[in-house]
Order: sequence, then structure tokens, then C-alpha cells
Amino acid sequence: MTRIPDVEGSDLVPRDPDVLSIGDRAAAEAATRKLAEGYEDRAWGCMSSRHKFCREPCPVYQVTRNEQHTSYGFHATVAAMSQGLVDLEDAYEQYAYCTQCGACELRCPNTLFTGDFYRNRTQLVQLVKAVRAAGVEAGIERASWKRWNDDTVAFRNELQGDPAQVAGWADDLDLPRGGETILFCDCMAAYRQTKVPRAVSLLLREAGVEVGLMNDQWCCGGPALEMGYTDIFEQFARHNLEDWRQAGAKRVVTLDPHDYIAFVEDYPRLFGDYGIEVLHITDLLAELIEQGKLRLERPIPVSVTYHDPCRLNKRRGIWESPRKLLRAIPGLEFRDVDHVTQWSMCSGAGGGLPVALPEVAEKVARNRLDLARPVGADVLASACVWAEDHLERVAAADGAMPVVDITVLAAMSAGLLEAEPWLAEVARNREAAQSTAGALGASRGEEERQ
Amino acid sequence: MTMTYEGVNRQAVAELVDILGPERVVVTPQGRLIRAMVPAPFPFHRWADEAPELAVLPETTEEVVAIVKLANRLRIPIVPRAGATGLNDGAKPNRGGIVVDTKRMNKVLEVDTTDWTVTIQPSINMLKLNEYLAPHGVWYPDDPASYPVSIVSGRIGTGGWSLLGSRYGHVRDNVISMEVVLPTGDLLEVGQGGGRKIRHSSTGYRLKDLFLGHQGTLGIATQATLELYPRPEAEFPAFFGYESFEAGYRAMQPFCRSNLATLAGVILFDERKVQYLRRDDEAYIPEPESLQSIVAVAAYGSEGEVAAARDRLMRIGAETGGRYLGEELSELDWASRHDRYATPLHGRSRDRAVHMSWHCEDAAITYSQLPFVKRRWHEIADRYIAEHEVFDNWGMFFYTNNAYKGWGDFLVEIDIGIWEQRLDEASWRAWTDMKREITQASLDAGGSISACHGATREGEVELVPAELGGQFDLMLKLKRMLDPNNIMNPGKYLLDRAYEDGGG
Repeated sequence: MTRIPDVEGSDLVPRDPDVLSIGDRAAAEAATRKLAEGYEDRAWGCMSSRHKFCREPCPVYQVTRNEQHTSYGFHATVAAMSQGLVDLEDAYEQYAYCTQCGACELRCPNTLFTGDFYRNRTQLVQLVKAVRAAGVEAGIERASWKRWNDDTVAFRNELQGDPAQVAGWADDLDLPRGGETILFCDCMAAYRQTKVPRAVSLLLREAGVEVGLMNDQWCCGGPALEMGYTDIFEQFARHNLEDWRQAGAKRVVTLDPHDYIAFVEDYPRLFGDYGIEVLHITDLLAELIEQGKLRLERPIPVSVTYHDPCRLNKRRGIWESPRKLLRAIPGLEFRDVDHVTQWSMCSGAGGGLPVALPEVAEKVARNRLDLARPVGADVLASACVWAEDHLERVAAADGAMPVVDITVLAAMSAGLLEAEPWLAEVARNREAAQSTAGALGASRGEEERQ
Repeated sequence: MTMTYEGVNRQAVAELVDILGPERVVVTPQGRLIRAMVPAPFPFHRWADEAPELAVLPETTEEVVAIVKLANRLRIPIVPRAGATGLNDGAKPNRGGIVVDTKRMNKVLEVDTTDWTVTIQPSINMLKLNEYLAPHGVWYPDDPASYPVSIVSGRIGTGGWSLLGSRYGHVRDNVISMEVVLPTGDLLEVGQGGGRKIRHSSTGYRLKDLFLGHQGTLGIATQATLELYPRPEAEFPAFFGYESFEAGYRAMQPFCRSNLATLAGVILFDERKVQYLRRDDEAYIPEPESLQSIVAVAAYGSEGEVAAARDRLMRIGAETGGRYLGEELSELDWASRHDRYATPLHGRSRDRAVHMSWHCEDAAITYSQLPFVKRRWHEIADRYIAEHEVFDNWGMFFYTNNAYKGWGDFLVEIDIGIWEQRLDEASWRAWTDMKREITQASLDAGGSISACHGATREGEVELVPAELGGQFDLMLKLKRMLDPNNIMNPGKYLLDRAYEDGGG
């Protein structure tokens, strides 16, 4: 079998210029064979169904409406690779169209009804990582991802922040280094969304939980792995684990789901059980509130809807604790959208999508914001700094609602942070809306009287 | 006259890029290969031969018109593709060419809450459409097994059947009017007569039906106006177990004739279907072996009507010797009716668990002939399974088939597992031979080859002229009149005969 021949004139449809192929053909063929052998059986598990229930929930498909950009599209490509009909370079280009949100895995009939019984759950996220890694191994790379990961190696964080300032956000907080419980701060939180780690630190201090910072925090490495850069992931993972061990850590608290999932899924694949408990901040805060150790008493008079981060809700089943947190804030009207309904939603910020395909990622975010509007909330809260940063930029461009981390809301309610400016703006908008409604009601009453 | 086709050439690609931009012209191998198939049985051993030369992703009626005119001018085959979730193969190319993948045409254009219609670009999924309609208190009730994924234009192309059809009608009853791009690129507004929101008229011929179920051979729907209904206030599903297929079969009749306007559907499971569902640890295992057949019923409507229907259905269940299987099983099984019955992981080659595809062979058969067809179909399937390890028998269902009533003819389905990964030319031949025998048995019973999927596949299509007689000759004439160059989905339904000397 050989690759299916190109149609005459196909050169008039340019390939994605972001994809660079600098490896030799033999390496690509070897990588293709290895992939096909490793994943062919799973691909047939999907192809044998072909009912495509994974399609409509896929946030990328919702934007492109292209069959290739779905779980069954990806699995079909592996089946075709096993017959030699598709090259690794073709597959690599296609496989950028995924945020690794996991919606397709949940919605797959093979998973829903019988996957566990037959030990044959659909595992698209692993497949996407494997194809991207095979590409990198064979010298096929995206220029954008390569640049991103080169920079991450150079700066040891994804924001190109000064490595010496990775804990700069905490300069005035007097947090210790090391200890039994380590707060892992995340690259985005350390350099851009710094109010989040500050809120978390203040909340934990208020509740009497001692946390320390790492001696030298590096990127968790999860995003590198998601983009196919296995070596970089391993380098970062080994460094961070060594740092935790030297610090005497027994527990690591994450404040971003991308770190959390790297520590609970990817690190164990590399290290096995590495003997450190990993806890996400929403679970910890909900527990502290239930135990009465953290009191949220200052009213936050806003209406809030919540965006479930994919790596918490879809991939790890963490959806209750963020809701408990929001419901514990006095004065806050929580307009919930069910976590299963949110299987079809995604911010677009994950899996390297905003790096490789920023326009697609923005459209995914816009779809999410469009779904938030009819809920009638003033604010969109979440528990993922990457999602919030991405949504915030798109929302700002569109004049959409403010986006805020739930730990910031909690810290405001605990009296640990001053009210953020958006709160006053929301109040002003509400007053304006009320006075408009009042004026309309008055004039309608006037008309009726006439 | 015989037709000769040009392949897609450089000029065609250049013009398509001009019409759509390069990002909506798909030439990659994986983009072509995935559009070679639908869920219908597929000869993976010759996958590359089945692929289109390219695919296009239009967004507007104007783009579809331009694409079709180009194909007609250059004599390039063109295949409309919507959700591509059908169990017939209308959305796959038989002669290469251009696949027109319409999934990007999914906008809701108007919700009319006064005259109760919704007008759409028809490549929207029904579940998504109903999410959109929910705030208006209305819904579009088309409910095939593929409800969470299939899309309205594909339902139009296949003239689809709905699980709730006995209460709410089927696709042909709920599509009020359409805008269709004909094979020449001309645009046709077709409906019942009058404006696009008129449901019933007596002016002229009833041409709308011609464009419902044509399997992509007569045009591409680019707009549709659909019927809306009040959202049901209540639904009541009930599953009853019987100790034999015969007992279940006898019980079906009083359910179907229960005189309940809220009756949405009745489904009979045979003993082989129950055995299939016992293959894992989560379906029907708590039920004793004496349970050999199931009748499932469902009522939809206002709370008062459904409460009354509930009482009557429960009484019929008891009077016919059925054992109510409980609220939990009834509600959960009904809720999972779209996903439940087609898992490839249940496949067995001899006694070995392998990935098998679900293939549902369906027919429309009158009530009196159901036992005959059941016996014949199982005999045929079991004979082929004894000889070929790639096939498996997953049992049979029988569904109410008619709009707004429960009696008459029934949709009969036998589910065959196929180990497609192991198909070769010999087993593919065996499959089409099996299919042909199944089809012949339907005709022997005075039935129709297909109640819901269409009949274009090898193994059944050869018998379409025998079923339709003079109607097939009229089909040939209509095809040649509307598609003078046979560019629209050529090779389907034996319609090539329209272009042979003396044909059409």
C-alpha cells in the first residue's frame, strides 16, 4: 500500500505553513509503523462504531464543522495509516485541531456503556499526544509549537518571564520555601494572572493551612507533552519532583487544572506512584469551608455563572467543589449550567490550540462566551487561569462579561482582597438597567392610563 | 447514450478555490478517506478506491449553486454529504468526484412563534436545534437513533424515520418546505403549495416528497422550513417482559391499537436481541432467563393525557401477560435509546470478543408477516455466520412505522455485527449475498426493502426495480429530466440506466 495519490491541482490548496518537515522519510515511516501498531486496535474500536456521537460536543468541530477534526476523524486517520494510505505528516497537521478537553471520550458509546467492562475506553487524548510526539520524533514539527517550547526551555516557564521572578508575585506575602504542603503556582498565574496565587495564598493562610513555595519552580511540563515534546516534559517533571522531594513535600496544591492533570496523570506514567498527594485548590477550599476553617462573610452582590475547566470536569470529574465554593459566597447569585451540559463547552485555551491555531481557539472562546450570555449572569467565573486569560482577552475584544477566577471571588468574600473594579462596573450596569426598566414601566403605565 | 465523466482537474480545483477559498477545499488524504464512508458496511480492504477526489465545505446557497454549476459544466460527479450517519450509503461516492459536505450550513434563520415554524440552513443537528428552540417552549420532534449527531439535511436526503413517529410524524411530515439546488444549479422552492409555511394545499402535484429520500440523487437542500410542536409536558416509557417472542408479538397489537393519541412508539425485542444484550454485565442481567422478549412503549404529551395513557398502557401490559420491568429500567433504557444498542464491543466472532460494526438491515413489513420475516432473516443470517467468522447475529427489533398511528406496517430490523477489519473480497461478497437474501425475503412477504434507511446498497439495490415496478421507470425519467448529465451522486439506485440507450 502507498499513500493515496494527490488529486491534480491539489497544490493550489496550500498546506499549513506552520508545519515543518525536516526529518528523513525513513524516520517518519518508522514512526508511522510504531503508531499504527500501538493504536490500530483502538482505532478500529472507534471505526467499528462510526456513529460519531463524539462530534457535536467537540469544541473544535463546533468551529470548523469539518469531520477530520473529531475523535472519529483522528481514529480514521490511524486506521488509514495502518493501511499505508496516510503519511505521518498528513496526520500531524490534522492532529493540531484538538484541545484535549476529553468531551469525545465521555460521549463515545464505547465509553458510556461498555468501555470499562471490556477495558476498551476510548482514549483520544492519549492518541493525540502520541501522534504529536511521533511527529516531533520524526522531525515533523509546528514552527509555533517549536518556538513556544524552545522558549519554555530557555525561560523554564511558558510566559517568558524572568526565571528569577517566578515567585515575584509573592514578594510581600512572606511565604516560606519548602514544607510539607507546596503551592504549585503555574506559569500563567506566576507572571500574568498573579491575583489568583495571591488570593489562594491569603485564603490558605486565613484557614490556617501552611503552604510553602518551591525552591525553584519550573513549568509543570504538561503543555510540552500535549504538544508532543516528551523530552522537555520529562526534563521539567524530573526537576519539579526533585525540588518537591528536597523540600520535604508530602502534598502539592495546584491552582490550575493543567498542572493538576500533569501531576495526577502524566507524572505517574513517568515515575509511577511518586508518593506525594496532589490536591486541587477548589477541593481544598471547599473542604476548609465545610470544616468551618474558612469563612466567606462579605457579600458579593453579583450574578455568576461558572465555566467548568475541561481538565477538572471532563477529565477528572471535579465539578462539585467549585460549585460548593460559589454557593458559599453570601449575596452571590449562582446561575449554574449543569456540568454534563458543559461537556460540550471549552474555552479553547488547551492542548496548544491557541499557539498553533489562534483563530480557531478564539472562535472556541467566543462560542463559550455566547453560551454564557443567555444564562443572564453578570460574571463568568472559572477555576483555570489559562481559560480565564484566553476568555478574558476575547471577552474584552467583544465587550462581553468580565471573567474571574473563583478563588478571587472567595478572597473578596473573605475580606482578604479589595473589591475588583469590575464589581463596581457590574453594579453600575445593574442600576442603569433597573432605571431603564423603571422608566419603561412608567411610560408603559402612562400609555395604559391614556 | 452513456455518460463519461471527467475527473477533478486543475481547472476545477482552481475554480473551487475561487468560490470557497483554499481553507474550505479539502484535498488531504485523510480528508478524502474519511468521506469515503458512512456507518453502512464498508469494504475497508479497498478503501482508497472508494475515496472522493476532493471535498468542499460550502456555507451559503450561492456557494452550493456555484459548485453544482461548475460540476455540471465540467461533468464531474458530485455527492452531497450531510451528517454521514446513515445506514444506507447515499452520502458516499460511487464514482469519485467532489463531495459537497454541507455541515457548515447550520444557521437558524427564523423561529416563528406565531405560525410555529423554524427556518434553517438544514445542516444543523436536531439536538442542537432543540437546544436553540427550548427557550421558545417548542421543539422539533424528529428522533432517530442518531438524534445526537445526525443533521436535518441528511434526514431530508434519506426521508428519515423517527422513533416518536407514531405521535409526531416522520421527516416527510415535518419538513414543510425546502429550497433545493437542482443538479443543473437551478434553485427550486418546493413545498406543499403556497408560501413556505403552508402545510396543506391542493394546488398542483405533490412534489415535495420527490426531494425527501432521494439519497442525494436529485439535489442539495440549502434551506428548510420545519414544523414545530409544543414541548411535551410529560413522557412515560414502560418496558414489559414476556416469556416468548410469540407472547410479545401478540401483545404488540393491543398496545398499537390502544386508541391513545399520545402513543409515540411501540418496540418489540426478539429473543436473540435479549440474548445479545445479556453479553455484558449491565443490560438485563437482573432479569431471569425466562424473559425472552420485550415490548417497550412510550407516550408523550400533556400531563393529563400522559397520566391517562400510563394507566391504559399498564393495564394492557398486565392483560397481555407482560411483566413490567420497573421504572428505573424503563426510564433509563428509554433515555439511552439513541446510544444503547449498537456497541461494537459486544461483537463475537465464534466465541471471541472482537470489534464489530453494527449493521441494521431494515424493511417495512405488515404485522401479519412479521413472524415469517423473523424466521427467514434469522435462518439466512445464521447460515452465513456458520460459514464466515466475520459476521454475528445481534437480534431483531420491530417498531411502529407509521405517522400518527401505531398500526399497519412495522419497521423490522435485524442487526448484524460485521468484523470489518477482517473483510476481504470473499467475505464482502458473502455480505452482499446475505443482504440480497434478506431483501428477497422482505419482498416475498409483500414488504418494502427499507422502512427508514433507503435501498441504494449493493445486495439490495438490484431488487429495487422488482419492488417498485413501473414506479422505477418513472424514477429513471425524472432523474434524466432533472439531472441531464447524471452528475448528482451517479451510480446510486441504478439510476445510470436512465442514460443508457433506450433508458429513461
